[in-house]
Amino acid sequence: MTDAWSSGQMWRGIEVILKGRDPREAWLFTQRICGVCTTVHAITSVRAVENAIGLEIPINAQYIRNIIMAAHCLHDHIVHFYQLSALDWVDVVSALKADPRATAALAETLSPWPKNGYREFAAVKDKLTGYVNAGQLGIFANGYWGHPAMKLPPEINLLAVTHYLQALDIQRQANKVVAILGSKTPNIQNLAVGGVANAINLDNPSTLNMDKLFMIKDLLTEVAAFIQQVYLVDVAAVAAHYPDWLGYGKGVTNYLAVPDMPLDTKGTQFDLPGGTIMAGNLGSVKPFTSFNDAYFRDNVQESIAHAWYDGDWSRHPYEEDTVPHYTDFDPAKKYSWVKAPRFSGQPMQVGPLAQMLVGYASGHELTKKWATVVLDTASSLAKTKLGPEVLHSTLGRHACRAVRCAVLSDLSLKHWGLLAENIGKGDLAIFNEPVFPSGEQRGFGFHEAPRGALSHWVVIRDGKIHNYQCVVPSTWNAGPRDDKGQKGPYEASLVGNPVADPQRPLEVLRTVHSFDPCLACAIHAVDAEGNEVSRVNVL
Amino acid sequence: MSEIGVLGLGNVLMGDDAFGPYVIKHLESAFRFPAPVLVLDAGTPGLDLTVHIRGLRALIVADAVKAPGPPGEVRLYRKADLLKAAPTLRMGPHEPGLREALLTLEFSGGAPEEVLLVGVIPDDVVYRVGLSTPVQEAVPAAVAEILRELDRLGAPAEPRKTPLAMDLWWEAVEGER
Repeated sequence: MTDAWSSGQMWRGIEVILKGRDPREAWLFTQRICGVCTTVHAITSVRAVENAIGLEIPINAQYIRNIIMAAHCLHDHIVHFYQLSALDWVDVVSALKADPRATAALAETLSPWPKNGYREFAAVKDKLTGYVNAGQLGIFANGYWGHPAMKLPPEINLLAVTHYLQALDIQRQANKVVAILGSKTPNIQNLAVGGVANAINLDNPSTLNMDKLFMIKDLLTEVAAFIQQVYLVDVAAVAAHYPDWLGYGKGVTNYLAVPDMPLDTKGTQFDLPGGTIMAGNLGSVKPFTSFNDAYFRDNVQESIAHAWYDGDWSRHPYEEDTVPHYTDFDPAKKYSWVKAPRFSGQPMQVGPLAQMLVGYASGHELTKKWATVVLDTASSLAKTKLGPEVLHSTLGRHACRAVRCAVLSDLSLKHWGLLAENIGKGDLAIFNEPVFPSGEQRGFGFHEAPRGALSHWVVIRDGKIHNYQCVVPSTWNAGPRDDKGQKGPYEASLVGNPVADPQRPLEVLRTVHSFDPCLACAIHAVDAEGNEVSRVNVL
Repeated sequence: MSEIGVLGLGNVLMGDDAFGPYVIKHLESAFRFPAPVLVLDAGTPGLDLTVHIRGLRALIVADAVKAPGPPGEVRLYRKADLLKAAPTLRMGPHEPGLREALLTLEFSGGAPEEVLLVGVIPDDVVYRVGLSTPVQEAVPAAVAEILRELDRLGAPAEPRKTPLAMDLWWEAVEGER
């Protein structure tokens, strides 16, 4: 594949809907932008408004938000890997040829996971056989089965299909944590500008109490075991069997991640580091250090040179407008509803890979620990030494998502401990009342969401929203070229990808899926003769 | 554990896509439901829908549907209708919808035995708050279908003597809340 254009297919005009509304209610609207990323847009919105008016929140509220964010992310990553992208690598039909005893023997060498027994594998194989004999594959009917790019041995395929089913149960456990703290999923109800609405009383059945706290701890512990014993191992096994894909899909090697899991009321200390890395050079890491970080605030711009909006400017989010002006798909001119975010004029890749590299480069111990585990496991399976340089790739993005889960599940339990300890000291505060002065305030909030750095930018005038912009992870990654013609990360990552069968462009899916796309977009991919080989719609 | 789910699907910021959530708000304001009935505005959860419907005996869904016909027409679909077509190509977390969630649970276990989709044909699905006139006018017919299905399932809803105000927070403008 020699060139690619990423075209966002849906216009999002959240600021048009928010203009003139009460900033305290913005989060209710932003959490509806996307039905999958509800909590992340809610939390980022309250952070932006709090930043605008200089409001700190009680430490309990910080911990509760952190646990919600971590649990949501664990849920989201597990679903993404097993339910939405594993089948790019795993051939379900090949699993029918697996010997369940051999699968169990292999699994035993890989992991202590108790549900890796012969009985589990035999039961799943029987179920699959029944489906195939009945002439229908149900949920698996849409896969590229028998595709020449599928390389896993039958036993690994059976192992992965079994874990596909177990992952459905585990992601539900992570989701329960969000539901207990957020009152409801998919749209949480417990946020407020100034804190959270989770009344704490350890003896009251209708508030956050001891029972609920211990239920949360049990759920997080159960999820952590799956991540460490199953997810990390599976992703290493896939990487070991597809070594080519540790080379394809690199694309843009400028990385951006924002710090998260704040440890204080102001947002000046964090359990996850953020910053930028330029041109793949880990030595260039430059940190973002607080919720007021000027290096972040002053360097984000969006370009509409190739996006269907009126004009061709590059502007800071506070100064942007969103006036749609659709003019057909024209690769030389405008071809996407997505604006092109840039940092100091550079395209940046965001997501778990960016976050893990920033963590690795910053000497973050948990990141180094779990990245080493996944690289060592993959190295021993591949019988060759794989170092962090292989992470700049399609499968590197998947591996980093698993590493991020391991880091976040450790941190979610740590923050659970901090919350319990603080409540134990008698501090039950959850909310500081926001006050909106007259005149204009500007603020931004960020969150390292499952798909990467998310930021909201708000301009408030006399207590009402005057402007509101969301710069979301999928626009950093899926955005079009900018005014200088620089490709966005999706576009750059597809150049050089092989395509074995243009009618079944599995390889395009592999690379696009590795970013965990979360917007309606289309990928137009072109071969060496300049012919469009595939157009893949991403919703 | 709920036995029957009544779920509204759709994005309240996208014009007629708000049909499902709107129907839920209407039901909540005008009726009381017996304990085993879960009534939920589920937004656009994609495959996360499995979290809410696993283990239910029966599922009723209100949603905008793509089908030939005039805007505002109410169309009913049963589980077999929904499972007939092959699932769409997986591309993103939004792509899997009701059908994919049901197929996933058919394979893993826990799919509802009975499903009724009460669909409405939208006029427009664009970035806008509020339903179009034909879709707004279809709400009573859709609600009637949902009530009939609850009767049939042996879990009838009871009309509130004094209906509550509908909590259409997304339609409220400054000063009305």
